Amino acid sequence: MDRSIIHLNITDFAVAVERIRDSSLKKIPLIVAPTQAARALVYDMSEEAYQDGVRKGMRLDMARRYCRQAQVLPPRPTLYRRAMAALVKRVFCYTPLVEQGEEDGHLFLDVTGTHRLFGPAPDIAWRLRKQLLQELGFDPVWSLASNKLVSKVASRVVRPFGEYIVGPGEEDSFLAPLPLSLLPGLKPEEIRVLADFNLLRIGQLAALSKRQLLVPFQKRGSYLYDASRGRDRTPVLPGKTGCDRISREHVFAEDTGSRDELQSALTFCVHEIGRSLRRRGMCGQRMGICLTYSDGKSSVRQATKKGGSDNDFLLRSLAFIAMERAWKRRVRIRSLLLACDRLVPRSRQQTLFAMHSTREFQQEKIMTAMDAVCRRYGSGAISLGTTF
Amino acid sequence: MRGTSSPASLCARAKELGYSALALTDHNSLSGLWSFLTACKDHAMQPLVGAEITDTSSSAKVICLVRNSTGYRNVCNIITKRNSSEGFSLEKELRKQHDGLIILSSSLSLLSGLQKYPMDIAANLGNRPTESSSRLRRWAQNQDIPVVAVPNVVMAEEREKELFRLMQAIRTNSRFTLQEVKNTSPAWLEAAAVYRDRFSVWPEVLPATGQLVERCDFTNPNFGIVMPPWKDDSGAEAGTALYKAAYRGACKRYGTDLSEAVVERLEYELHTIDSMGFSSYFLVVRDIVHNLSGENPKRTPRICGRGSGAASLVAYCLEITNVCPVKHNLYFARFLNPGRSDPPDIDIDFSWDERDAILNRVLEKYGTHAAMVSTLIRFQPRMALRETAKAFGLPPGEIAKVTNLQRLPGAKNEGLASPWPEILQLASELHGVPRHISVHPGGVIITPDPISDYVPLQIAAKGVPVIQWDKDGAEEAGLVKIDLLGNRSLGVIRDCIASLEERGPSFDEDYWQPEEDRQTKETVAAGKTMGCFYIESPAMRLLQQKAGSGEFEQLVLQSSIIRPAANDFVREYIRRLHGGTWQHLHPQLAEVLDETFGLMVYQEDVSRVAVALAGFSHARADGLRKVMSKKDKLLRLKDYYREFDEGCAQRGVDAEIREKLWQMMMSFDGYSFCKPHSASYARVSYQAAYLKSHYPAEFMAAVISNQGGYYSTFAYVSEAKRLGLSILPPCVNASGVRWKGNGREKNIRVGLMAVKGLSAETMERIRDKRSGNPFSSAVDFWQRVRPQKDESRALIQAGALDDLTTDRNRSRLFWELSQFRCLAKMQQTSPLFGLRLPQPPALQPFSQRELQRQEYGVLGFLCETHPILLYGKRLNGRTQACNIRQHRGKRVTFAGWLISGKLVSTKTGEVMEFLTFEDETGLVETVFFPRIYRRYAPVLSSGQTYMLRGKVEEDYGAVTLTVEHLQKL
Repeated sequence: MDRSIIHLNITDFAVAVERIRDSSLKKIPLIVAPTQAARALVYDMSEEAYQDGVRKGMRLDMARRYCRQAQVLPPRPTLYRRAMAALVKRVFCYTPLVEQGEEDGHLFLDVTGTHRLFGPAPDIAWRLRKQLLQELGFDPVWSLASNKLVSKVASRVVRPFGEYIVGPGEEDSFLAPLPLSLLPGLKPEEIRVLADFNLLRIGQLAALSKRQLLVPFQKRGSYLYDASRGRDRTPVLPGKTGCDRISREHVFAEDTGSRDELQSALTFCVHEIGRSLRRRGMCGQRMGICLTYSDGKSSVRQATKKGGSDNDFLLRSLAFIAMERAWKRRVRIRSLLLACDRLVPRSRQQTLFAMHSTREFQQEKIMTAMDAVCRRYGSGAISLGTTF
Repeated sequence: MRGTSSPASLCARAKELGYSALALTDHNSLSGLWSFLTACKDHAMQPLVGAEITDTSSSAKVICLVRNSTGYRNVCNIITKRNSSEGFSLEKELRKQHDGLIILSSSLSLLSGLQKYPMDIAANLGNRPTESSSRLRRWAQNQDIPVVAVPNVVMAEEREKELFRLMQAIRTNSRFTLQEVKNTSPAWLEAAAVYRDRFSVWPEVLPATGQLVERCDFTNPNFGIVMPPWKDDSGAEAGTALYKAAYRGACKRYGTDLSEAVVERLEYELHTIDSMGFSSYFLVVRDIVHNLSGENPKRTPRICGRGSGAASLVAYCLEITNVCPVKHNLYFARFLNPGRSDPPDIDIDFSWDERDAILNRVLEKYGTHAAMVSTLIRFQPRMALRETAKAFGLPPGEIAKVTNLQRLPGAKNEGLASPWPEILQLASELHGVPRHISVHPGGVIITPDPISDYVPLQIAAKGVPVIQWDKDGAEEAGLVKIDLLGNRSLGVIRDCIASLEERGPSFDEDYWQPEEDRQTKETVAAGKTMGCFYIESPAMRLLQQKAGSGEFEQLVLQSSIIRPAANDFVREYIRRLHGGTWQHLHPQLAEVLDETFGLMVYQEDVSRVAVALAGFSHARADGLRKVMSKKDKLLRLKDYYREFDEGCAQRGVDAEIREKLWQMMMSFDGYSFCKPHSASYARVSYQAAYLKSHYPAEFMAAVISNQGGYYSTFAYVSEAKRLGLSILPPCVNASGVRWKGNGREKNIRVGLMAVKGLSAETMERIRDKRSGNPFSSAVDFWQRVRPQKDESRALIQAGALDDLTTDRNRSRLFWELSQFRCLAKMQQTSPLFGLRLPQPPALQPFSQRELQRQEYGVLGFLCETHPILLYGKRLNGRTQACNIRQHRGKRVTFAGWLISGKLVSTKTGEVMEFLTFEDETGLVETVFFPRIYRRYAPVLSSGQTYMLRGKVEEDYGAVTLTVEHLQKL
């Protein structure tokens, strides 16, 4: 049976949320970026600002020069999280198979087989758009296709406004005239190699056989072969993607070269990850850190502990080791991503000997108390002193 | 990098605080010695010569203060060993060489080791009493060792702390944060009362320190003039040997019947040289240049003796220089005169790619008696800004952007976000601070005794020994320097002639007189000298056009007069050259300035005018000439000015004339040349111009191959096309590593060196593998050469494999490359003979525009066309470069590709720029006056195309475009 996948995309999500909160901003070019920091980066921008040359990750002072009339608003991640939750809540009325990214306004809906309940898939999409517009004020781009890949390409074709339906069997003809850069999942190096072969459109790529593609692209040849024909069998995964690890990101308001600041942010992230581990009853065996420098380059390093742990103090020392391994340049750090993976269930077996006096036991008690405070008063209600 | 203050500011501060003596102890170095001695002299301070020397295997360090010349020699040798031998042991070395030294240390273990030997040692308690210094004091008193307090001062005043912290961050390649450099505890120079208070608990310390100062009465090393040693196997004395060699050479140059003028001059020079003791110097230089004293003596084929040494007939006869000083009336006293107390130096240019071998030969021959001169690299504004920003952790892209912005006229800092204001402030303080020692381009010192007896040595990054003084320090110390420099144009001439000899009869250089060739003179007079040594810059070419003369003497004069501060005189020169009326400022100048139209053109004119009008002695006049090129000339010029003014006044010269003459002398500020130097270079310029006029293909190929000219390869390729030559694309079967000109077929084949990203090894491999067996297909090429992936890609994009295909379809070539690489990977263990690739898919060939984009990307130019033509209709309405002259006095629109520029300052200090643009038909010199330049400077970038609008102006036949409006295409 042909699948029906709807891709909903609220372009410039942060800007869209801000404009709903304050309708007077609708006609003004907007840039969302930390306003207090001297060297802030653009978090999001409106279509008008984009047309003037502003891009995500661009330095704010430069963005201001590109778009002098733009109003700059500080990012409000909590607000965007709430807006995303409201969005997902309405979508759930139509299907439980909803895949969402971080708070970015992107949703995949698998509405296959819901015809009898809600009517044809295009009707669902139209209805959803109307509903989101009426109830939340969002005007999403939507597209409908038989898989995630084609529906995403279709959204890219019509954004920032509109809708597109690619009927079953029309995938290859839809994709053929489009430039290769619209195909999701292609790496820059692959696009460069394809350009060397003078292959610039998806249709030209589709003209090659799988055997031929395997030569220059090896294993990736199969993906390119299928993708260029609009074939994608990946299911819509409910919930947020990437649940096999726990990660936290910290973007510094102003890029920093201070070890204290870095360790403080790291401690906060470790505490968040530790809480999550304890809530799930899991232990992490590996802490990985990705430091992104001011020039966009990044460095990834890990530190591991056999058997794993959910102890903040131990996880923090792992994180610090990983940080020392990763931080080799003098360039300032823009953001850090801390990830804990190789998760294993926490052993329920008690230790044979009493550990009341051990340091580990004391730390465990502190963490339990802190978790309780956080549960009651929210994340960040209590933190280690080094966080500040 | 370990101290923020210059010796001068330390001395000034010490004087201000009431000190009468000061020690400068550089870290494993005596680099600052001469500037320190000068500063002490200026501030009437007693200098204490010494150095701080550290161990390589432990943290131990000592301060060695010099008591006498033996101590000085010892400290030089210890530092040399410290900097050049791996197994250096401080304690062991001090045990061997401690005579004449006072050794101070805070290290108890080191002192207890040293005190067993009869050495002059003292315990150093440092900046203030501490727990460890208390222990050291108790121990020293028990051992009966003097206890002194020598603070580790690294800055003159406390306010330099931030700068010090920054310098440490730069030195250690760390971040400028408190955390990274908090362990350093800098000390600054404080008043004696502060130290008295601090050490009041130990009252014996400061008197002991005072006594130590009194014992150090060594004020400076005094070697006299140190000549390189020369000896002959026959045991001949240098003076006699030089006499014979000079006359032998004269007979070779002028024939056996020497004219009276030659003999007279030769006798005078030989007498002067011998009486001043410089005979050995000439002979050593001759041996170096011609390698006569080695086991396999042979003449070095192509050199250019330059500088004031070219004024010597003896040097000319020894074939050290190439221009006859008698014929061209070159002033010998500029080089040597009996009153000259400082050593002269002879500068020799070699082809740039032969120079290092010659240097190595000299260093090998003289062993421990020879080393290269160092040069002190100081923080310049750009470097200071970049290094400071790096220490602040800013990303490279942002640093480059702000650094470029700072270069623009009227750069404003208000808009820069934090931390840039702080960076700019600190960078301005960093400007002028010494960064590190580097190697002088060619200065070599050769001494009779081991050179480390005179000056400490260290090993430079390129592996050669260098002395720790720059050329000024070496000169102050009396060490005679020989300059062996690299010159690209000598390589160009060599390659061009070699190319001619390859294709036809040999080129006879012995009777080559390019200065007399009509066609060459026309080329020079028309300023069509792009690619010709020394006369290819836009300013020089315009001057040649204005002068309209191709005579050798004229070119010698022009290449000297075109110096930074002499614009007014250039204009006046052209006016006078074209018959404008003029008279000497004073009748007595007629003898001196007749050949230069009454203008001071050469460096020696300054001395000669001072002698003729102000009664200066030759030595004093030479001193005035030399002080012009010094950085701290202002103060010293005051004395000369007073003396000149009084001398002229006594001889009845009017005040107005005196002032005009002085102003003319001041135009020698910055760089300027003496006539012998200009004449030597003009000779090379004429050789180049001759080759360009007669053999343009071979010449332009040699110019591009030797690289490093005034212009980019792009500009030289355009020039070659304008000369009617076609540019053949690179080809793996036809191209050499270097470019190859073919005059008969009027073309130049692009060399493989032009392909970006192609390694030297791959180029060599291509040449070797195809030898006698050209590549038959792309696969054959990849199989035999095995280039890297990126190299193959670059070769395809450059069109170097086109001839190996039937349809010139480069997308297919890329496909085949990926197939080949894949199969080669799979068959790594088995040879690939007989490999056949499967039929590639039907890939579309690239469009012409895409092919050109790829070619430009990988070569930096287009072989067949000029990239400006790719703008198509956007060029409508433009006037082409070849037609600009027809629009004199009118306004035109011109589309030009920017190829070079020169920033200058107006009299009022405003910045303006002369820029050279080209299109497919020719070059256009443009002028951007300050107002226009300020407006357009941010968008000007080399290699970009602009639509320019402005007025065409003509001045004595030279046409320029004064730009009023510019738009980027």
